Amino acid sequence: MIRDGIRKVFRVAVNRPDRWERDVDEEITLHLALRAEQLIAEGVAREHAGAEAARRFGSIGEARARLIDAARHREQRLQRTEYLADLRHDAVFALRTLGRQKGWTTVTILTLALGIGATTAVFSVVSTLLLHAVPYPHGDRVVDVFQQPASGNRTGIEVTITPSAPTVRAWMAGSRSFEAIEGVSSGPRALKTADDPVSVMTATVFPTFFGFAGTHAILGRTFTPADLDAGGRVALLGESMWRGRFGGDPAAIGKTITLGDSLYTIIGVAPSTLRLPGAPIDPVDAWIPLDVRNDSLGMSVIGRLRPGATIAGAMRELDSLFARSAGFASAAIPFKTAVVRPAQRVRFHDSLVMLAWAVALVLLVACANVAHLLVARSVTRQRELAIRDALGAGRGRVLRQLLTESLILSLGGTVLGVGLGWLGLRGLIALRPASLDSLQTARLDLDTLGLTIAIAILTGATFAMMGAVQAARHSANDALKSGSLTTSRSRRDGRVRSLLVVSELALSGTLLVGAALLLKSVINLQRTDLGFTPHGLYALSLPLDANHIAASARAGVLGGVVSGIRDLSGVQAVAVASVAPGSRRFRIGQLQVRGEAAPATEKSGFIDVISAQPSYFRTMGIPLQAGAVFSDTSGDSREVIVNAGFARAHWPGTSAVGHQIRVAGTGSEPWLTIVGVAGDASTDGPAAWSSAPVLYTPPAPDLHNPVILIRTTGGAASVAPLLALARRYGVRRSADLESVEDVISRSIAAPRFIMLLLSIFTVLAVVLAGVGLYGVMSYTVAQRTREIGIRVALGASRGRIARAVVARGAVLAVAGAVIGLVGAVWGTKLIESQLHGVTRLDPTAFIAGGCVLIATALLACLVPARRALAVDPMTAIRGE
Amino acid sequence: MPPLPLLKGTLDLLVLRALSWTPMHGFEIVSWLERAATGSLDVEDSALYQALYRLEERALLEADWGVTENNRRARYYKITAAGRSFLRTETRTWVKYANTVTTILTASRDALEAPSAS
Repeated sequence: MIRDGIRKVFRVAVNRPDRWERDVDEEITLHLALRAEQLIAEGVAREHAGAEAARRFGSIGEARARLIDAARHREQRLQRTEYLADLRHDAVFALRTLGRQKGWTTVTILTLALGIGATTAVFSVVSTLLLHAVPYPHGDRVVDVFQQPASGNRTGIEVTITPSAPTVRAWMAGSRSFEAIEGVSSGPRALKTADDPVSVMTATVFPTFFGFAGTHAILGRTFTPADLDAGGRVALLGESMWRGRFGGDPAAIGKTITLGDSLYTIIGVAPSTLRLPGAPIDPVDAWIPLDVRNDSLGMSVIGRLRPGATIAGAMRELDSLFARSAGFASAAIPFKTAVVRPAQRVRFHDSLVMLAWAVALVLLVACANVAHLLVARSVTRQRELAIRDALGAGRGRVLRQLLTESLILSLGGTVLGVGLGWLGLRGLIALRPASLDSLQTARLDLDTLGLTIAIAILTGATFAMMGAVQAARHSANDALKSGSLTTSRSRRDGRVRSLLVVSELALSGTLLVGAALLLKSVINLQRTDLGFTPHGLYALSLPLDANHIAASARAGVLGGVVSGIRDLSGVQAVAVASVAPGSRRFRIGQLQVRGEAAPATEKSGFIDVISAQPSYFRTMGIPLQAGAVFSDTSGDSREVIVNAGFARAHWPGTSAVGHQIRVAGTGSEPWLTIVGVAGDASTDGPAAWSSAPVLYTPPAPDLHNPVILIRTTGGAASVAPLLALARRYGVRRSADLESVEDVISRSIAAPRFIMLLLSIFTVLAVVLAGVGLYGVMSYTVAQRTREIGIRVALGASRGRIARAVVARGAVLAVAGAVIGLVGAVWGTKLIESQLHGVTRLDPTAFIAGGCVLIATALLACLVPARRALAVDPMTAIRGE
Repeated sequence: MPPLPLLKGTLDLLVLRALSWTPMHGFEIVSWLERAATGSLDVEDSALYQALYRLEERALLEADWGVTENNRRARYYKITAAGRSFLRTETRTWVKYANTVTTILTASRDALEAPSAS
């Protein structure tokens, strides 16, 4: 047929692009020859015939060029159609082949999809939180700058000190490491409206901040130094507030708003893309200028290093600038400067990095699985490929066929994987703990998605090719003749697959240990005796300051609310305190004991001080271990109750009651007499458990923002009327009622979240590894069907056969487990900082990890073993 | 009679017509046309090949190498199904066009004016 002929021509033409030129020449030559012959036959003289033929043909050069051009176009079109037809053919054929092996196809696509989905979801989270933590230009040089106490911080939490305006000025004037230094402070303020005031998010920034952040006002202008000179009563609206509250009306410029007690003139609108450092979630509703010349201000500091400047150098420089400006000898400065990349300060930075590693391992496991699924398949298809080779399909053609198949698999896995990734990300966002709130801005990370898909496709293509190359090396003849594979070859293939399975098991083993450690740690956290009873405890905070309640009226308001609460049914105890569980308040100074020399090492530290009514202990459920509650609760009471940890550490074996202590700053503070010892209570949640000193003092008479703690038996319903009660007494603004139990459970929500995530990936990895092992074992059994048949026929007991299969699986499992556990010894370093009450080499976690892995492996061997048992010797020996 | 100049586009039709009975190589088509037109077409041989290539590119023709009676390698052209249907419709159009033109050119003056008078 002509069509096929054209194909043949085309094949040659692909290799030699000048083919059509020669075709054209040949056609023209023939024509001229035939014409000349015709002319001679008609009687034209032989010597003139050639010239006459050429004359009749017309301009040969021009015609030749045109014909070659036309021929080239034709060939290219044909090539395209051919290519598309081949592709369609390959795709249809691949779909049919894959459709015949539904189980295999499903497992492969699912494996790919799980790998792609999990990786994309988690890396999207990590990249949102860590990689894109800095929303400003040259983010790689942007750093957070803050100060920390040089010594004396034994509180167990990181204490950061926001630098004061004079310090910032000294840095700005003297620093050579920084290109720019910006001060920022933010917080909610009351915006006056026609109704009750509403709380809006405000940020105060230097006029230079907008340039630093690489942004402009979308309407109006940004701040200028002149605004500061004029008193700084100007504001930029955030885009969302401008659209929401001002209907996006350009006429908003020039209007005024009242924030707190001050009037601000609106001069512009800032884009919603402009964010504050540290990625807080609430969009900024209003921007206000910050004047660094105002000595009373403190501010968060963010800076951009000069290219080439080091963090360590910047720290040294800022330290010395601070010491010089504040008049300290540089060895004696109370605060040390910290210069830190923003990503390092993201909460759970270590956990996130660990999760990224974990999910990368899952992707590796998934790829290894796909790899050996493909290799195993290409081996079982050796005969098919050999037959097709023998029937004349070119090797290139077969290779293309296999590639098409692997691409279709990758495509299926990708589509499903993107779906899973999207779902997974939505799930992660929904489950996010409050402390990782910025997660809600997470989007599918396209870079990650692209990379993951590329890895999946590459894995697929590589191993499909590997299979094809093996098939090609294996001569068609052999495969057809022997009906099975030669022993040496099959042994080599087996080794590749075993290696893949062992590495999968090993990676899963490492993950298992990590998950077990985190699980144990979270259980520890949940089981920790907090030293008080969060269940049934509620905290009502009354911001008297923000509600402009005069100092003289405060005691009356507080007393009224408290007695109102006492009247509620279900309320067992009520106490006023300076701080609610979940937050802490410190006094800075040196804890001195009367009659003892002041400790020389630490000049001052952070001492937890809780100012509380005597009923505090009963309300909280903190037992009094010695002494009694305050007898004198007047303003000049000199009584103090200390925590048991401090008492034990300082007066081991004897009672602390009667001793006198004080937190000395200037040295003129009065001595306080210890009247009681309360049990250690971790009011900040189990993760912050410590027995560092805590001092309880009688309630200060001038509490600005008191907290009322309520112990109830009636649950949430009995405290529901509280906010209305507070309003009646004039506390309209931001009064807050919280269940202490929720606060505590929130404090461990993040570790629980991380643990949950790691567990999910671990289960995923273990299942994938199990599937991988299952694949290898069933392949082995299928391949050795004949051998097994012969053995059975020769009298081998079926138990022995099953044992042989399981033993082979067990060898792989144990090898994987050993490597995995050894890997965990190193890998658990990543989670060490997040473990509570369990060491990273905890033997139970290692044993549990190993056991789960081996159990999974045995489970994976079960079906292949049963299949081996079911082999009928007659059928097996007779052939396939 | 001197050779007639060929109207644009008609060569394609003539080539398709030539091939509508049997596949031929280039020179066969040229000789057939010359025989059929009794030597009265004024067309350079190269124009025929350009027409052939053009038709092939439009998939109205297919070509393949074959061997002539005298054992010479030649490119044989064959009409495709698309070519046949193209030939049919174009022939109809051409005949209608030619008839109309012929009618107008050969009719008497009265016959032409009659319709407008009635």
